[in-house]
Amino acid sequence: MKKKWMAVVLSVAMAATLLAGCGGSGGADAPAADSGESASAESGGVQEITWMFWDDLNATEDLISKGYGDVIDRFNADYEGQYHVTAVTTNLEEYYPKLNALVASNETPDVFIVSPGPNLEVYVEPGVAAPLDDYLADGWKDTFTSDAVFSQMTYDGKIYAIPLNIAAACAFYNTEMFEAAGVEVPKTWDEMLDACEKLEAAGYTPITISAGTAWCLSMVAGYLCEMEGVDLAALEDGSASWEDGKVESAAAKLVELSRYFQKTAAGDTNDVATANFYNEEAAILIQGSWAIAQINGSNPDFESKCGVFQFPGVDRVIAKSDSLAMSSSTKYPEACIAFMKYFTDDTAQKYTAEIGGKIPVTSVEYDESVAPAQLSYVMDVFSGAEGTFGFYNESMPSTEAGAYFDDTMVSVFLGDMTPAEAATDMETFYADNCR
Amino acid sequence: MDKLLRDKKAITVFLMPALLLFVVVLFVPICQSVYYSFCEYKGLTAPEFIGLKNYKDLLKDKSMMFALKNSLFFLIFSCVTQLVMGLFLAALLTNIKKGRNLFKNIIYLPCVLSSTALGLLWMFIFSPKLGINQALEKFGMEGPLWLMDTSGFIILPMWVIAFVALWQYVGQSMMLYMAQISGISTSLYEASYIDGCNKAKSFIHITLPLIKPMVATAMSLNAIGSLKFFDLIFNMTEGGPNHRTEVLATHLYTQGFKYNKYGYASAIGVVLIVMCLIVTGLINKFVKTENYEM
Amino acid sequence: MSDKMKSTTVKTIIYIFLVLVAVIYIAPLLWVFMVSFKTNAEIFSSPFSLPESFYIDNYTFSWTAGKLGIATLNSFIVCGITLILSMLIGSMAAFAIGRLRFKLAKPCMTFFLLGMMIPVHCVMIPLFTRFAKIGLSNSLIGLIIPYLTFSLPTTIFIMTGFFQSMPNELIESACIDGSSIYGIFFKIALPLSKTGLFVTGLMTFVANWNELLLAMVFISDDAKKTLPVSLSKFVGPYNTNYSQMFAAIIIAIIPTVIVYCIFSNQIVDGLTAGAVKG
Repeated sequence: MKKKWMAVVLSVAMAATLLAGCGGSGGADAPAADSGESASAESGGVQEITWMFWDDLNATEDLISKGYGDVIDRFNADYEGQYHVTAVTTNLEEYYPKLNALVASNETPDVFIVSPGPNLEVYVEPGVAAPLDDYLADGWKDTFTSDAVFSQMTYDGKIYAIPLNIAAACAFYNTEMFEAAGVEVPKTWDEMLDACEKLEAAGYTPITISAGTAWCLSMVAGYLCEMEGVDLAALEDGSASWEDGKVESAAAKLVELSRYFQKTAAGDTNDVATANFYNEEAAILIQGSWAIAQINGSNPDFESKCGVFQFPGVDRVIAKSDSLAMSSSTKYPEACIAFMKYFTDDTAQKYTAEIGGKIPVTSVEYDESVAPAQLSYVMDVFSGAEGTFGFYNESMPSTEAGAYFDDTMVSVFLGDMTPAEAATDMETFYADNCR
Repeated sequence: MDKLLRDKKAITVFLMPALLLFVVVLFVPICQSVYYSFCEYKGLTAPEFIGLKNYKDLLKDKSMMFALKNSLFFLIFSCVTQLVMGLFLAALLTNIKKGRNLFKNIIYLPCVLSSTALGLLWMFIFSPKLGINQALEKFGMEGPLWLMDTSGFIILPMWVIAFVALWQYVGQSMMLYMAQISGISTSLYEASYIDGCNKAKSFIHITLPLIKPMVATAMSLNAIGSLKFFDLIFNMTEGGPNHRTEVLATHLYTQGFKYNKYGYASAIGVVLIVMCLIVTGLINKFVKTENYEM
Repeated sequence: MSDKMKSTTVKTIIYIFLVLVAVIYIAPLLWVFMVSFKTNAEIFSSPFSLPESFYIDNYTFSWTAGKLGIATLNSFIVCGITLILSMLIGSMAAFAIGRLRFKLAKPCMTFFLLGMMIPVHCVMIPLFTRFAKIGLSNSLIGLIIPYLTFSLPTTIFIMTGFFQSMPNELIESACIDGSSIYGIFFKIALPLSKTGLFVTGLMTFVANWNELLLAMVFISDDAKKTLPVSLSKFVGPYNTNYSQMFAAIIIAIIPTVIVYCIFSNQIVDGLTAGAVKG
């Protein structure tokens, strides 16, 4: 009798195991993105929405994040009794996993920040992010500097996210060290190598960079690829090959340049590499202009010594924007749009430039004298350039491909791979995964 | 009384909570994991069956090869060094009286401390400009880049991390062996001394054979522990530079939760579980030959 | 005489060696403790001297900015609840296996023991997706459930041993007194296995107190993070303000070190007893 009973328990348990494990999971685990439920709740006629962001608004030192905090306060004050937004914050490293968990549990935040390119596409494809063209059509779109700011947020002709600001990747340099070493700002690749040589001879570490944070090194690799005329779109559709020699010579240039990197480049993280620069341990830092806030915040005395030049030998600059997407399952699209507009109004955009040190996306007038000194140099670089292109790792067909490119470039830098092997490797990866 | 102990209702009540948890939290998810490992599953869309593709990709994945190599290195290194050092320390400590407790407690201390905190602590000690390299500088030497160097088959950072792991966990092996050694009856040793054995000889002929079952226990603990190894690596190098210090657990974490490749990460998990089962099986087969009741 | 001299030399060598080992164990902890009171500049200028003045700001900063207070509290809640539940549920199952009479006791035991061999990594993804769906991700309960499950195998194994070695007469006499089976369990079996409960409780607590991976994956809300997660997020290669990092590390380990110093013998013996049996 008891034997029978236990047998029943165990077999039921095993059956449950198998069913839930294999048969059931397919259907049960499919996220019902269309269930229409969102995290919003109505309380006393006020439309409650949530906004998800990748920095802690209360504890942050980042000036751009602080500006976003102001936007929330302004919005909630102006629309009191009508709309209310609550910020859901996390940190950058765990932002996407957490956002994905919320999406999977049908609690997609009404508005969320996202990097353009493949990161955004992750949400466009399953219909999590809503197309915004209808909302932009009321004249909102005309406030932006150009339609080009939307290029990385457009899929099948529809815009899925709103850019908030633009950062450009530039070479920051220590003017004192350049002077002491008798170096002029380099314009061409050869001048760049020459400058590094002179800086080294004068006893300085020429370049500080992070290969520990792979995208930092890959940013330089992106510039070198641009210099060699690599066409990512052609690589993606298969009309060009990674092995046509362009990538190989770009990688060879990376190796050439890497002789001038600081000794610890292989393991230094982004922040350590940047600290090397503002602590005056190295002459050149190649970094996005978001580093301005970090540099000036950490060493205010350094602002006057910090110059900016465009990465030599290329005509275009790498630009990147933060952008906002709206959940397709939000209950209150009007509240979301009203909220998003607050990020691109004159007050917010003025703050972006004057305090945050990033390039505004709208044609707002701002006071250059209060903005960080470096911003005007970055603006010069930006307006002097023939155009912009995205971060290489964010311009590829998937986040995975981007990470693969980053890692490959780090391998070349570390000497684990020759430039030719790197090109072959990327070609194999693209042939298998991207075309 | 027999009736009382055969009470079916009581058996159910006593067993059910644990059984239920096990089925729901352990066995169902394991089966799911195996199923996912045959799927393309990115978290936001439903899993889609793709057969063996994830496993084929694993074979081509360079980081996976690093992870496998490092995990195996770790497994072998920790089994060997924990056995040798643990036994050695246990032998030393059983031979002294004064201060035995003190030394024992000091060596055991890191076992109860969080490996997150200790990993971070050693990360700073081995960082380029701090700790050890500052000390070496005092002697006019330039220290290596402990956690960043990438030359050699087993790269320097792996040796460093393996050392820290040994430092942290050798106390546990030591205590296990000490417990076993102190259980050996002194009359055995006395008899051996009369037969003309010295201490070293009696260690080889009496102590070693008698602690063999404990070697199996300690080794299985080490082996599974080193395959699961995550905290120290994550906090000391995060798998870097360029995935060269990746182990299976960190690779699973990165693929699963950084890139959201749930299916692919599940395949790594399946590899991990298979390795755990094989290693435990092997150790029990080859080390646990005889079991002395003591 | 010469034998005696030889043995004293050997003893001296042993002691010298052990002192060296002890230094390797204590020096890193001591060094971090020392530099945690220095300013960042001092760490680079005089890394090995005593701090010039005790710079407490490092600690206040780490405590607030690293959110270590709430993290410690969360760790206590999670580990405490897991501890109590695993002792209760685990010893219940162990009592059934070790004392109650049914044919499937052995298979049941094997079933539970399999759990010891399974690394938590392997079930993390299905658990995560399921918990996200039923609203258990990002909650302490979602952390307690897997912690509890993974603590059960050892608890059950050790407690079964304790219950089996318990003398039969005690239970017989309780039966004669008319106790129910539940009464026997709670009033006789449990109080008599205090040592076992202490050992398993200790193992469970230490393991879960230090657990990082699951907590990192499951919890993303700052207010719900456990100590290892908050520490790992706050300290890390991303920050260059070393003295504050060191202060945070010290804050995280100091409670354990203090408890360990007071109860070291019991803790070491308890954990070893657990591991020997496990």
